[in-house]
Parts: sequence; C-alpha cells; structure tokens
Amino acid sequence: MIKTDLLVVGAGPAGMAASISAAKNGINVILLEENERVGGQLIKQTHRFFGSQKEHAGIRGIHIAEDLKKEIESYKNIELMLSATLMGIYEDGIFTVLKDDKMIKIKPEKTIMATGAFEKYLLFENNDLPGIYGAGAVQTLMNINGVLPAKKVLMIGSGNIGLIVSYQLMQAGVEIAGVIEASNKIGGYMVHAAKLKRLGVPIYTSHTIEKAIGNERVEGALLHKLDSNWNKIEGSEFEIDCDCICLAVGLSPLTDILFQSGCAVKYLPELGGYVPYRDEHLETSIKGLYVAGDVSGIEEATGAMVEGEIAGLHVAGTLKQDDKIFERIKEMKEELRSLRAGPVGHKIREGLSKLYDEIYVEEDEFPEVYDIEFFRKTGTPSEENLKAVMPDEERLNKGPVAVTECFQRIPCDPCVYSCPYNAIKPFEDMNELPEVIFEKCIGCGICVGKCPGLAIFVLNKNYSETTSTVTLPYEFLPKPAKESIVDVLDRSGAKICEGKIIRILDGKAQDKTSIVTVEVPKEFYNQARNIKVVL
Amino acid sequence: MMKEENIVICRCEDFTLKELRELLEQGFNTVEEIKRVARLGMGPCQGKTCGPLIKREIAKYTKQKIEDLDREASRPPYGGIMFGQVVGDDIEK
Repeated sequence: MIKTDLLVVGAGPAGMAASISAAKNGINVILLEENERVGGQLIKQTHRFFGSQKEHAGIRGIHIAEDLKKEIESYKNIELMLSATLMGIYEDGIFTVLKDDKMIKIKPEKTIMATGAFEKYLLFENNDLPGIYGAGAVQTLMNINGVLPAKKVLMIGSGNIGLIVSYQLMQAGVEIAGVIEASNKIGGYMVHAAKLKRLGVPIYTSHTIEKAIGNERVEGALLHKLDSNWNKIEGSEFEIDCDCICLAVGLSPLTDILFQSGCAVKYLPELGGYVPYRDEHLETSIKGLYVAGDVSGIEEATGAMVEGEIAGLHVAGTLKQDDKIFERIKEMKEELRSLRAGPVGHKIREGLSKLYDEIYVEEDEFPEVYDIEFFRKTGTPSEENLKAVMPDEERLNKGPVAVTECFQRIPCDPCVYSCPYNAIKPFEDMNELPEVIFEKCIGCGICVGKCPGLAIFVLNKNYSETTSTVTLPYEFLPKPAKESIVDVLDRSGAKICEGKIIRILDGKAQDKTSIVTVEVPKEFYNQARNIKVVL
Repeated sequence: MMKEENIVICRCEDFTLKELRELLEQGFNTVEEIKRVARLGMGPCQGKTCGPLIKREIAKYTKQKIEDLDREASRPPYGGIMFGQVVGDDIEK
C-alpha cells in the first residue's frame, strides 16, 4: 500500500494545475494518468486560448500542455504514474489502481478527481456506419497521429468544439460540407464561427441530421430543418455529400467512478449531466475528496485550470495551515468568478447556483453591448455591428488603423497587452470588449496576430489613389508569397476580387499566425477579410 | 418516420432504439433492469455513451424527469480487468 498526501486522478488541464499548486506548497502528490502521456485534451488544441493574460490566455493549448508538463517534471514531490487506471474507490479511503498489469492500492490523505468528460452521442438512422466519429477521435487522429480522418466532413454541433475542430480540419486540408446546429443560434464563441464563415463554410442553424447515407460507409447525410419547437419541418429534407459525420454534440462530466465514493450528486443539464455537490473550494460531500475541471461541470479548459489550482491550494492550505495559501485561493476564486461573469457563463452560473450557496448573480454582470442575434444566427456580424467599430472617415483617411470585429463578450484580454502603443483601452475586467483609441493607433498590426479570436484587422484606406490595404491573420498553408496575387474573400468566404500581397510577417513572434497585408481595390477595404492562395 | 431498427443506442452491445423501446413496452423501466436483461452499460465503455440516451428514453416513456430516475450503480472494478491482475502472482504481505 502506497501512502501519500494527495492523489490526483487525471493529468488533463485541471489535474496538472492541481498537482502543481499542491506540490509548490510542499505537498507530496501522486498524479495518475490513464494515457501514456499527460495533457488530456490540451495536446490536441492548436488554437490560442481565451481567458486572462495572466492565466495562459493567448497561448496555444499544445504549448500550455508542454509548459505544465515541464513544471510537473520539475517537482520531485510529484510522482507521475502514466498508463495507470483508477479501478475503484473504497469506503476506507483506499483507491485501487491498475498499473503494469498489477493492482496497486493507494491511501491518500486527500484526493482530487479530475477525470474530465465523455462525448455525448446522437441518435439518427445508420448512426453506426463507418465514417461517423466523435470530434475527440477526429482530433486525436489528426493532431496526435497525423492521420487525415476523411476528405469531406459534416460537423454536427456548433459549440466551440464543433467550430474549432472544423477549423482545424480545414487547416489539415479537409473540406467541411457544413456545420449543423439544431438550435437557432450558434453555440460556440462568435469569433470561432466568424473564422469558419470567412473560409466559406456554411453554418446551418435550426437544422438536424435525420440519417447517414451509405452502405459500407458514410457517403452523405440527410438533413432537415427544425421549427422553433424543435420539430421537423416536413418537406425540408435535403441531402449533403460527405464521407465523414463528426459528432460534437456536447460533453458529459465523467462522474461514474466518483459515484463509487458515495458522494452526493445532482443531475444538472446546464453543467452537462450528473455533477457532484461541492463547496466553493471544490470539496465534495465526502471530506477530503475534491473535484476539478469538466468532471465538476462542463466548462472551458481555462476554467478547469483555475479550478484545479483552487482545489490543489485548498488541499495544501488545509494540510499546512498556511494563511498565505488561502490568500492565493482568494485571487484564484476572483479569476474564476470573472471567467464566468459574462453572458457565455450564464448557463454555468445557473447550474452552479443549484449546487452551493454562494449564488452567482443571475443577471449578467456584463450584458452584451451589441445586438448579436444576426451574428449568432449566421456567423457573420451585422452591418450595424460593423459600423459601430469602424473609425470615422477622417481617421480612415489619415493612415492605417486597427479595427476590432469582436462583438460578443467572452472572457478574453490578450489584445490589451499586445499593443506597444497602449492603443487598446485597458480592461477592468476580461469580459469587456476591446476599444481602439484611434488617435494612439499607428496601424502596426501586432494585435492582429495576438487576438486569439483572429478578429482584429488593420485597414489602410488610402494605400494608393485607387487601392487600400487590409492586414489580416492567416493560419493556412501554403503561406502566400510577397508580391503574389491571391483571391480576396469577404466575411462569408465569397471571392470579391484579387489582391496583391504587400507584406507577410511570419517570424517566431507570430508563432504560425502570419500577419498578411493585401492590397485591394479601394471599394473593398471594408469587405476584404480573408485571402486564398491560388496555386 | 425514422427507422428505429437502424438507430443504434448502444454500440458496445449492438442494441437498437427499436429493441430498447420494446423492452420499455414489456415493463423494463429502470436502468438496472435494462442492464440486466440487455447488457446495456456492461460493454467496454461501461454505459458512458448509452447511459444518458437510455435515461432520456426511460424518462420520456415513464413521463418522469431524468433527475428523478434512479441512477445506475457504479462498482469496482471500474473497467475490464483480468483475474491475474487482481490476485497477482503471490499474496501481498
């Protein structure tokens, strides 16, 4: 029997953060991971993360995983057990673990369960045909094993996972037949949806899949439209051609093993399914048993890391009786509160308020500034939205200037810190929307590559008598060559004109998000938002 | 009308929505009963995929809320395991 201060189950973002925060405070940790490597879902995330600059925002998921891995390896008091599966939780506080074909017993003082989540499945005809994947499997094939899952994918679900995986598939050279969403609104962050739209991907809101078509494998899908009560509109069926149907229809907290402990749970659809009761420090109804990350309710990875840190710190604070640790917990709780304070955190706050007394305000602390109904239905911002962030004629005529097409409040602030001229107004809270101080902005374009949502563009209206330039972020291969002629696309991905590449910044600082400046006829400066390299 | 015999609800045990609805008609109305007669939830994924879907079907059929249904039990061992892995070669001192 192995004894330890703290057992952490699962080395994803929450489990890694929990182990580090506890180990930093002198706690001996055993970190269990079922897979042969740490990182959880982080190792498949190639996009820059949202959240606050001081907590990993602006860094790609894969790099966050590497940083946390290095940190874990630097602590002698963290024993990492890879390929080790938790098999049982017993009343006497003993945990059984299968490792190297042997059952071992661990008796920890405290335990943090960070087991993550499981993908939900969908019922439709022929839903067992080869070519139907969960989004996690598609990401594993593509981003871990380097295997192309298909040629043309139909994505079911427009939450952040559906949107992000679609974008990654496009980067890998896969065609996206469309993104289907049963609700009348896109579920994920609008900046992710806007990125897909600029690539010409159709997003079908109020649609669902009825049937997978094909005999031996997927050859297409039958879709239909839904009315406002989620009922099929008869006669609205149509077929779509694809060789893969990718399911991104939500996650359930992986709580089943937690049930063995006998901790109190509650079914809360807002948080994805059964979740354990816990207090504000993530301690469940069983003393010494904590949860962190998706197992405690489905949220973004950024929130999972903060939860992990709070749980890890609380274990350390309790075992060491150190007031300094509790001070840090206060800071992290404030961070978590802020992550959930905006409109995108509404459902989470609602779910959490049913779990413990510290009620989160029902009203959004940060209500939407803009009317984004059109944006959420289509994936393209409305004319009114765009007008609101456009500098006036006088400023446009003066020279290059940054325009932030960021209309939905999400917890994210790297743009503020990116500007060397302090031309983006500092935030008091990360849920604020960016505001460019046009007098200070020189149009350098540094922010263009730093915005995790790829939502900032620099416009130089009077580049010449007849042309303007647009500076935009570009994350596809091949990269355009300087002086080359490319197709120029609008916000819906439609070709509007041809343009000449004036400048491309693609150094180490850009970290694969190139900053491309393209020259377009003057009439298109406010439409040109993407390019396509013509070979 | 959707062909329920072509809708798979449990991939591990190759069980369709049609078969599940037949069980409900026969009076098997709890997760535990359905698990015992049809092995749903006893395959490699241990009910993680089918569990929420079965509960939704039971709730619909019995006109209950999902949160009011009995939750399935979870017992050690959590997954498939060999006897040798439990017992080992020798007896622990």
